[in-house]
Amino acid sequence: MSGTFSIAIDLLLNSLVLSGVFLIVAMGLNIIYGLSRIMNMSHGALYAVGAYIGYSLVATGVNYFAALIITPILVGIIGLLIERTIILPMRKRSMVYTLILTYGLMFFLDGMIKHIWGNRPRFIELPEFMQGMISILGTQYPVYRLMTLFMIAAIMIALMLLLSKTKAGIIMRAASTIPEMVSCMGINMSYVHMGAFMLGCAMAGAAGIIAGPLTTIDPLMGGEMLISSFVVVVIGGLGSLRGAVIAAILIGFVQTFTEFFITDLAMVIVFIMMAVILAFMPRGLLGEGKFE
Amino acid sequence: MKKIVTISLSLMMAFVLMSSQQVFAKDPVKIGVLVPLTGIVAQGGLEMKMGIEMAAEEKGTILGRDIKLYVEDTQVKPPIAVSKAEKLVYKDGCKALIGVFSSGVGLALASNIDKLKVPFLSTHVMTTEFYGIHPLVFRSGQLANDQTAVGNVKGIMARPDLKEKTYYVLVHDYAWGHDAGQRFIDLAKENGIKIYNEEYDRAPIATKDWSSYISKIKASGVDGVYIAFITNVIPVFAKQMSDFGLQGKVKTISAAAPGPLELEAGGEACFGIFGASDWSWDVDTPASNKWEMAFWEKYKTIPSDAAAHSYVGAMNLFNAIEKAGSTDAQAIAQALKGISFDGPYGNVRISAKDNCMRNSAVLTETMAAPENPFGAKVTMKVLHTFTAEELGPPE
Repeated sequence: MSGTFSIAIDLLLNSLVLSGVFLIVAMGLNIIYGLSRIMNMSHGALYAVGAYIGYSLVATGVNYFAALIITPILVGIIGLLIERTIILPMRKRSMVYTLILTYGLMFFLDGMIKHIWGNRPRFIELPEFMQGMISILGTQYPVYRLMTLFMIAAIMIALMLLLSKTKAGIIMRAASTIPEMVSCMGINMSYVHMGAFMLGCAMAGAAGIIAGPLTTIDPLMGGEMLISSFVVVVIGGLGSLRGAVIAAILIGFVQTFTEFFITDLAMVIVFIMMAVILAFMPRGLLGEGKFE
Repeated sequence: MKKIVTISLSLMMAFVLMSSQQVFAKDPVKIGVLVPLTGIVAQGGLEMKMGIEMAAEEKGTILGRDIKLYVEDTQVKPPIAVSKAEKLVYKDGCKALIGVFSSGVGLALASNIDKLKVPFLSTHVMTTEFYGIHPLVFRSGQLANDQTAVGNVKGIMARPDLKEKTYYVLVHDYAWGHDAGQRFIDLAKENGIKIYNEEYDRAPIATKDWSSYISKIKASGVDGVYIAFITNVIPVFAKQMSDFGLQGKVKTISAAAPGPLELEAGGEACFGIFGASDWSWDVDTPASNKWEMAFWEKYKTIPSDAAAHSYVGAMNLFNAIEKAGSTDAQAIAQALKGISFDGPYGNVRISAKDNCMRNSAVLTETMAAPENPFGAKVTMKVLHTFTAEELGPPE
């Protein structure tokens, strides 16, 4: 295999890994917005909370895969508390109220992170078999990075099954398009909103523990991810799950390739792309975006 | 009766005057401390604060007055740092400013110093633009970019295994990173060291995933990388280089010393980082050993170079105020010129020519720590000590 080919494989895999992390975070954001019209500004902070909880679980001896299951559940429970105490009382008011409240919550969660875990970076200790390299089409690639692709795929399949095959999922999908009808059928919409918020937060937590070993865990990781996931959500269309998939892949590839070829302008190009798409396709790439 | 009233009034006046003199005598000397306590270098900022507080405690008083530190968070943002400096000087009445992490923040403060009209001593501004930038602006802390480049290039030249390598240059995209990268490239070329990308790469400060850059390094086929990153990012990059199997294959030379807590977090992935620094707790001199144990006793955290720089800078400032005999800005500035302090990394002297420090420094490589009182697992092992004259710049 030539060197150029192996670098191309590297870039392809790097793009997929980055896209995958963006996808899970953006999906969570989209589920919350699509079902309950809440623009959750604390979503990035919940992603960071997931990473730190995952770090603490592994550091105290919990197996990484067990932590991968426990972390989203715990972040989902945090989401439940947020929804019942902060979001629910504001449900009947304008979206701006929850937007500002969740923005404040983001600072609160960031402050809690610094208070509990401090400022220094943390790394999740992976099991030995996930620390090495594997040969793929002539390139040596980190095992864990490759495994994240499978983890992300598994999460996406589970999400699709939940939304298409379970009663709760079908109610959620119906509620995202015709909430009045769901309400008329005697289903308490308050519980639907609660479920959506919990699910979205759990997705943020799952992304946090998956992304933690890829990069680093620090108190700023949430704010940075919030910006990237908003770019994905805006390009894909607010509330559009299919749009988010395409947008996440697009952003992951554009960011990785521009960092490689035109380093200095990588993020500039991503934001110019978002501005152009927003100008010509305000409802996102698939035209499925929902506005309130 | 008139006489009694006159005597009483005179006594009262004398009492009031004496009391007010006593009040003035007890007025503390107010020093403004500007450090980043939030944002990307918050850990370094905390360590800087510790170093300055330790110096103030050790010094006790200046001109027979207590030292009062007013600490403000710059958030590593130039406009915020300038407004915090204005608050410290105009509202709190601080007579001097100390601290500051980041060349961008330092340059912003320096450009506002005519307005602030107090001496500003930076402890963590490495840009070469600081040499003689303003009569009220001084540096006594971390090595400047030209000094680090001299140390690193001398270190590379002294090691045949490093001398023959080709270096990829990757920096953080801001004033300090650009200056550090360019200084290294210029000096390396003069010495015949091969540079792969003279138009060095600039990565955004927010970069978390270094995989694209690592792919570029892999594609270039180099066997060395020169990095100029904010200290706490160094272990992050090292960890990802290790994940991609490049640790040991591509030698990392760093323009800044990683903090000890960050090194602990990065663990074995951080082994092998080579670079010049003022100080590391591996420095084995009586003054260094005494200082690091005092720091450990006080804070129960691994002594860091950020704390050592700030401690020494603060001592130079406090001694200068004492030497000036007043808190007048011009008098302090005059006293700072040529002042020196013997601390954990030897004699640190502020040049009267350009207001920036000259001191000896060490060449280090990160590796497994020997048994130590701090419980550290990684150390910046001292390989060589440079004299102040070797590092320059000449006066």
